[in-house]
Amino acid sequence: MSRLPLSVIGGYLGAGKTTLINAILSGDHGLRIAVLVNDFGAINIDAALLKSADEDTIELTNGCVCCTMSGDLFYAIGDMLDRAPRPDHVVVEASGIADPAKIATLAQAEPDLRYGGILTVVDGLNFPRYLADPLICDQVRAQVTCADIVAVSKSATDAPEIAAGLTEIGVTHWLSASDHDMVAAALFGDVDVAAPEIQTSDHHPAYVQWAARDLDPMSRSQIQALMATLPKGVLRCKAIIPDNDTQSWEVHRVGQTLDISARARSSTSGIVVIGPQGAVTKDEIATWWAARPYSVFELT
Amino acid sequence: MSDIRVFKAKTILTMDPVQPVASHVAVRDGRILGIGDASCGDAWGEVIHDDRLADTVLTPGFVEGHAHLMAGAMWAYTYVGFHDRIDPDGRVWQGVSTAEAMIARLSEAARDLPADAPIFGWGFDPIFLTSERVNRAHLDQVSADRPVAVLFSNFHLMCVNSVALEMAGYDTTTNIDGVVRGPDGALTGELQEMAAMFPVLRRMGIDFRTLSQSAEAIENYGKVATRAGVTTITDLYSMLEDEDLDLMLRLTSADDYPVRIVPALGASGVPGQVADKALALKARSTDKLRLGAVKLMTDGSIQGWTARVRWPGYVGGQPNGMWNTAPEEISALTAEMQKRGVQMHIHVNGDEAAEVSLDALEAAARAHPWPGARHVLQHCQLMDRALFARAAALGVACNIFANHIWYFGDQHVALTVGPDRAARMDGVATALNEGVMSAIHSDAPVTPLAPLFTAWCAVNRRTMSGQVLGGAECISVAEAFELITLGAARTLHLDSEIGSISPGKRADFAVLGADPLASDPAALKDIPVLGTVFGGHVHLL
Repeated sequence: MSRLPLSVIGGYLGAGKTTLINAILSGDHGLRIAVLVNDFGAINIDAALLKSADEDTIELTNGCVCCTMSGDLFYAIGDMLDRAPRPDHVVVEASGIADPAKIATLAQAEPDLRYGGILTVVDGLNFPRYLADPLICDQVRAQVTCADIVAVSKSATDAPEIAAGLTEIGVTHWLSASDHDMVAAALFGDVDVAAPEIQTSDHHPAYVQWAARDLDPMSRSQIQALMATLPKGVLRCKAIIPDNDTQSWEVHRVGQTLDISARARSSTSGIVVIGPQGAVTKDEIATWWAARPYSVFELT
Repeated sequence: MSDIRVFKAKTILTMDPVQPVASHVAVRDGRILGIGDASCGDAWGEVIHDDRLADTVLTPGFVEGHAHLMAGAMWAYTYVGFHDRIDPDGRVWQGVSTAEAMIARLSEAARDLPADAPIFGWGFDPIFLTSERVNRAHLDQVSADRPVAVLFSNFHLMCVNSVALEMAGYDTTTNIDGVVRGPDGALTGELQEMAAMFPVLRRMGIDFRTLSQSAEAIENYGKVATRAGVTTITDLYSMLEDEDLDLMLRLTSADDYPVRIVPALGASGVPGQVADKALALKARSTDKLRLGAVKLMTDGSIQGWTARVRWPGYVGGQPNGMWNTAPEEISALTAEMQKRGVQMHIHVNGDEAAEVSLDALEAAARAHPWPGARHVLQHCQLMDRALFARAAALGVACNIFANHIWYFGDQHVALTVGPDRAARMDGVATALNEGVMSAIHSDAPVTPLAPLFTAWCAVNRRTMSGQVLGGAECISVAEAFELITLGAARTLHLDSEIGSISPGKRADFAVLGADPLASDPAALKDIPVLGTVFGGHVHLL
């Protein structure tokens, strides 16, 4: 069975995590996403999308579910692994004060899970005030610095106070939390990398997408070296790359986090790279790819 | 046939100042009818004289104001802690003080268990072992073909053998926070925090959720309570889902179930919904299951450096701890509970957490006056005189973690808050001097359930190394005794029913082998507990 991708949505109280989760649940991404929340407090599903609801599970007609974690978060994730059929992706809403990294580490430790990234929502109105509050600043900062993807809510992404606060703690790129298509592409970009429509789709209003297929073989360390040089601003990369006659590499990169796993040799291969408009261009990505310092000849 | 039973005892300590000592107590319908000599029930009609307890000392049944149901469940696994412990069936488990002893204990368990059962030890604490840190090689000696795991007493760490590492797919290529490597780069077998532990727990079939809700856990909780002389006990952070509640209601209502349980609903999420649920639960209370209170977590632990502490912080320069509930959520939850009439138990280990909680309680008290709300700060380990004075002024009770002095006192001096503040930790004398409604507790299974030991800690303030930590904070045996009976009952709003041997109260007694007030205070913890009387029913061990 393939590994179940797990993403964590973090962010301080009131940052806008639930708004984003409502959008994910009812989005037209075509995936059966399971979202684990602390409570249904502000979960708001359009009645037309609602299939069923009970004390701790809401089922949607698009195949998504939303469950409360009552009790232990880790065992709730274990329940998702035991669910038949398994969802396509699990999204965990971290509580407003929680360290999302402590949850996301499970996705790296558990062989049946795949790390799907941490997205932290930054409160575009109150973030500077939180950073100045000695009671909570350390935890708020840690929520943001551990993130693979930072999304700003409630204000323009270039609002000077927010930009200053994020820059001060070392964040270089961030999205708008209301850009749901970009967020979904970054979190759920688990596409068929060799599909013709991926190769041909030219542009999307929210983000830049670049793709290639029929790739030459590479070793694990070559892939690691290559991924380390990805243009800044790339949010998501998925690739199926041949290794040798019997196996291929499945490569996922979310934010700065790289995951490489071996799988049976795939008859197709390809790579898809996604980043926000303005943060990266297709040319930059193509240049990066063309400049990779090795080729099939080095391996033979 | 008379329905009045008069128990004779060597001594009865009532904790009731009107009649502190007696030789007999008359009981009818599970409640106390009279206290005095052999004739104490005669005014009410014909009596039966019961001499089964004639050689014992009776006191009010002990009240444990801070424990967890998990204390009953852990005994499904093999105890490998440093200190001797007694299991629910009365077996004494000798403490394990070397790696070799731990290997022997687990090997013995492996022989007795079915081949597919997990070999799982609990209660282990490496700070007490002087030998090399326990690692996978030790546990490989227990079994080379079955998974073996040892959970540390703080529940945050475990050590596992090579088979268990393999099951979880951990190998030399693993680079994950919490999967520990030695200086040679090889995995040591130690796994830190739940994310790293869970893949092994899952594959060994160990589910922490059932540990706190199974029928066996609830039955064992009654047994461990009786062994400690406890007749009313809390379960301070319960999810209380419908099916859990049905099970608890069914099991606790059995005539022979020997203890009253006071669960507190875990308070997280939308305040209004928490209050709704607490009030709905309250309506389902029975005599032996008292529902309606909530528990709020604020910070972490001092020995884990996760408690929120004030200046000058931790002596080793560690960063300040972490909130489990953000300060503004503490305020919002407190305001809502106060407004809706829901009693709160608030976990505060560090003094900053206590201060933030008192701020929230003070604001809530202004907005929604509720004299007698009697919210309870739990642990209160670093509260100073001024914080206790604030608690007293607000009518907020303090349930103090006295057992920490002995278990972790030396570590607090050397590693957490340093000698000056360690001497003031768990300052029961200061709390009493400031007029705080107080109690003391074990936080079982974090430390063992044993109110006499808890009282001994508050009286003697000895650490494991033998030093007295802050002698000025020592209290008298009589004061300590009140804290484990009437004091704890007050924190549960149950002092009109339990906590002293007074007319009209429940006939709940601890049955002891000696008179604690006449014994050497240094030997308080060694007084034998012979059982309990619960609602007039005798439960001897």
